[in-house]
Amino acid sequence: MKLLVPIKRVPDPATTIQVRPDGTGIVTDNIKWVINPFDEIAIEEALRIKERLGSGEVVLVTIGEKSWQEQLRTGLAMGADRAILVVNDKPLDTLAIARVLAKVVADEKPDLVIMGKQAIDDDSNQVGQMLAELLGWPQATFASKVEISDSVCTVVREVDGGLETVQFPLPAVITTDLRLNEPRYASLPGIMKARKKEIKEIPVENLGLDLAPKLKIKALKAPPKRQAGRKVSSVQELVHLLHTEAKVI
Amino acid sequence: MIDFELSDEQKMVRETVGAFARERIRPAARQADESESIPQELIQQAWQLGLGREPIPEELGGFGGKRSVLTGAVAVEELAYGDLAIALHIMTPALFAFPILEVGTDEQRRTYLPLATGDEFPFVTAALMEPRFDFDPTALTTRARKIASGFTLHGAKCFVPLAGEARAFLVYAQLENGAHGFDSVKAFIVERGAKGLSLGEREKNMGLKALASYELALDLELGPESIVGGEDSSYGARLLSESRVALSAMAVGVAKAAFEYSRDYAKERHAFGAPIATKQAIAFMLAEMALEIEASRLLAWQAAVALDKGGDAIKEASCAKNYASSVALKVADNAVQILGGHGYIREHPVEMWLRNARGFAILEGVAIV
Repeated sequence: MKLLVPIKRVPDPATTIQVRPDGTGIVTDNIKWVINPFDEIAIEEALRIKERLGSGEVVLVTIGEKSWQEQLRTGLAMGADRAILVVNDKPLDTLAIARVLAKVVADEKPDLVIMGKQAIDDDSNQVGQMLAELLGWPQATFASKVEISDSVCTVVREVDGGLETVQFPLPAVITTDLRLNEPRYASLPGIMKARKKEIKEIPVENLGLDLAPKLKIKALKAPPKRQAGRKVSSVQELVHLLHTEAKVI
Repeated sequence: MIDFELSDEQKMVRETVGAFARERIRPAARQADESESIPQELIQQAWQLGLGREPIPEELGGFGGKRSVLTGAVAVEELAYGDLAIALHIMTPALFAFPILEVGTDEQRRTYLPLATGDEFPFVTAALMEPRFDFDPTALTTRARKIASGFTLHGAKCFVPLAGEARAFLVYAQLENGAHGFDSVKAFIVERGAKGLSLGEREKNMGLKALASYELALDLELGPESIVGGEDSSYGARLLSESRVALSAMAVGVAKAAFEYSRDYAKERHAFGAPIATKQAIAFMLAEMALEIEASRLLAWQAAVALDKGGDAIKEASCAKNYASSVALKVADNAVQILGGHGYIREHPVEMWLRNARGFAILEGVAIV
């Protein structure tokens, strides 16, 4: 079974994010970059599927600058077999990303695409769904459990108010939720082997796709600073203020 | 040309081991210190990272990597940043394996390296230190004498990690062969159950309480094949330098942990209307801690690179060990001071790091990078 795992590079969740003064983006100096945590879960799940089946290939793909190799190497060190870097340095919106991925899928012909439900930078939560639509494949988003037998896939999804189990034939697109698994750490031998694994670079222009953005970010703003709380001297005063000032009771 | 840039692989080792230390080791450290034991599951997870067996050939159960003292130093700094006692536990099999890998005979590698590999964390260890006030690794009082059937080994050892469960020991002794100093320091392989090997009580230490360590008494007769590398090889100096680099790197890790913790505390803790980090008395202290940590790391890396080039690096490793040990102690002490009363109570980890850091001036463990 061939598993394709699209990944995205995002700022480390522990990084303090600052918005650029002109509101066009975030300050990227001194940011530590990591694999999007949901995508890391997708890599882990792909590796587990391959291990359970006893054979298969896990291929990573990302769309970004050459330096994104670093995150691909980390994924290869976890155990993925090879990687594809679609080299691009222009801003792409979610539909453009889905189109690029659809082209990679057409070339690679994987049995399953498994990716994070969303990237933690812009939290769009769109690419997986769009990709499935472009391919005309079944999709199961927010997966918290994945089982595959005889090209039938069963996924437990986390939906509002409970769990939903869906079943569909492969090929398909799955997007991963937080509780699907706990990603492994790359091992030392994994890291040493990753150096020898292939990362194929494809310039995005060579794909011949219409990638003109349909979506434009007009401005980014930091959320307002939280005000310090206020101390009140009695319950009566609290109730009074909740009624007259906060108007919640 | 001088280059301080780590390779991509070394950076990734740093990231991965660092993440493991932050997410797994650090949260378990206090409980391990209080209960004087480390969860086996954590050790097993760490073992799966491949530390300690990466450079051992595949046919002997390792991963066939290239041994690099520098990569080892980068990894153990991160481990010790998580917790020193847990880091020492995780690296104990390497105390046994790496000297055999590096200076053992082919026969010894084939026979004994499989004991230090495999999927389960292996209990093998080494005994270097001796319970004497004037302990000197170039003049051990554990003596080996050549006899017709092999060697006799006589003496006492202390601070032998994991000795309680170890299946085999690497015991350092001075061979009475007319040579002096490092040239007569030899390692002997002793299997558990050898007649005349007696295990003392578990030691009760000031720090590193989670690490089980023991005294050993030795009155043994060993076969001729027990001497690592044969009688004629001389390796005491190199192995000691490797040990010093590893301990230096671990000292840097402990110091970094204490520095970061006290820096973050100082930015949050307000006194007289401002964070205490804005007060010069604290700010200067933090700046100096940061700079001495950088200096320690450079000394450790310099010695590691010299060893990777094949030298003994006695001077470099000794400078690194001496400097990094005192920096770790000083930085941990400053961290306790910056936290004030909070530094002295066991709710914050800095008092534990201070107790652990005190060990560096005493420990002269064996080659573990």
